[in-house]
Amino acid sequence: MDRSQLGFDQNVSGAGDDFPSMLRRKGFLAPTAIGPTSQTVTPQQTWQPTDATTILAFKFSGGVLVAGDRRATAGNTVVYDRADKVLEIDSQSIMAIAGVPATAWEMARVLEHSLQYFRRTQLQEMSVDGKVRALSKLLRDNFGFVMQGVGVVVPIFATYDGNSKPEARLYFYDAMGAQFEATDYAATGSGSPAVRGILYYENTWGAKPLHKLNEKEAVSLALRALDTAAESDTATAGVDRSGKIYPVIKIVSRAGINTLPESKIAAVFKEMVV
Amino acid sequence: MIEEPYRWVEAIANRREYIEGQLAPGSPIAALGYREGILFVTLGQTRQKLFEIYDRIGMGAIGHPGDIERLRMAAIELASTEGFTRSAGDVSLRRLAHYSLSPVMKSAFEQIYGPPYLARMLFAEVGARPQDDLFLRVEYDGEIASNGATYARARQDFAVLSGTRQSVEMMEAFLKTEHKPDASFGTAVNSALDAWSVGHMVLQASEAKELPAREAVAHHRQEQLTNAAIEAAVLERDGSRPIRYRSLTDNELRSIISR
Repeated sequence: MDRSQLGFDQNVSGAGDDFPSMLRRKGFLAPTAIGPTSQTVTPQQTWQPTDATTILAFKFSGGVLVAGDRRATAGNTVVYDRADKVLEIDSQSIMAIAGVPATAWEMARVLEHSLQYFRRTQLQEMSVDGKVRALSKLLRDNFGFVMQGVGVVVPIFATYDGNSKPEARLYFYDAMGAQFEATDYAATGSGSPAVRGILYYENTWGAKPLHKLNEKEAVSLALRALDTAAESDTATAGVDRSGKIYPVIKIVSRAGINTLPESKIAAVFKEMVV
Repeated sequence: MIEEPYRWVEAIANRREYIEGQLAPGSPIAALGYREGILFVTLGQTRQKLFEIYDRIGMGAIGHPGDIERLRMAAIELASTEGFTRSAGDVSLRRLAHYSLSPVMKSAFEQIYGPPYLARMLFAEVGARPQDDLFLRVEYDGEIASNGATYARARQDFAVLSGTRQSVEMMEAFLKTEHKPDASFGTAVNSALDAWSVGHMVLQASEAKELPAREAVAHHRQEQLTNAAIEAAVLERDGSRPIRYRSLTDNELRSIISR
């Protein structure tokens, strides 16, 4: 009897076969796209920055805060006003996404399952460096699609590792998969230039540097920054005052991930922002 | 010679005897459903015997480490693929065991020119309520025993795995009187350790016909606990987190053990 028909591979050793390649072997994940060598496609005609959103993350006294607005757009149309772009990958890691939602959410799903698959097969947690590289590899595998004009994703990755120094870790990426570790803050998406300006200013000349902010101050800064981004960037929703739709804010710390309830964000918004 | 049917039957019988002999010294494993989940317990100090398969599925196994590893990898791969392409809720232990593992193990066992799997596995899947918990024991020949009610027996809220049939039967007889599905965690830990001791004693004394006396069990357990490390894991019933499997350390358990 052919055992492979039963989805039962005798040669699986676990080592060297990570989750995405296992999915590809079984045909459940698209192969890595053909690169820009394709003659009909030139980068100039297809490369469009479609990372229309604003995501920000910074380290504060209680861990790493990651916030994202909730607007999803297609061109100049608002498609959805309750999108969640700040995603939990495991109990200690957050991936926040700017870019084409279909690709980004799929990527987050693959990453989430990859870490679990690794833990179950290898009987240990993946290291922070391993997680950071795993996301980098997914971005790199996707780059062929980016060059064909579909599927650009520019994420932020925040995690907390009790065994490392510093304990709170924050990374941002480019579309090709290069990873950069941020010391204080990171921002991505079409509204990020404004946000980066605010965070730099606050960190350098503000009442106190970002890493000394308490939770309430951190949340109010995130809300103000997103609202500022929304002022000039139509792809960013900021805070929807009439619809009472607030950004998604998650905090990762030693205790794990805390998703701030809307009522709490609303209270800070009412008191410190409005 | 194998072409003749009765030779084949004879070869299978030999093979069965050989495998049973290989599995006989395996340290018992007890899995008990309690109020807040399912608890796996065994004692040993060499190889890991309890494993996470998926969000709500755990596995305990005895046998050859190489075979256990291949079956474990296959189970994880099948569950992970299903969980990724559909959803975690679509991963089902019943399907995993009946439609994937069992046929493969059966055919490996019956193809007498190929190697069989030298492994016996105990799977558990935690449900929303204790009556939804599923326990399956998968044998080296693909045979599956579940905890469900049959015409001969009421539904059980536990399952055990051991080197010999006699040891399994004694452990089951012990748990049938000792264990209640609404037990607390502490009670379940103690019942599981007692059940392990019963199973282990029967393995050592091959002619045991009835349950060993309570004092003897307590004494045996005390003796074994001074040397061997406890290996344990739980599948939590609480649905607030998707991943229910959690392995417990020896220290965590020593503090709850009575006496």
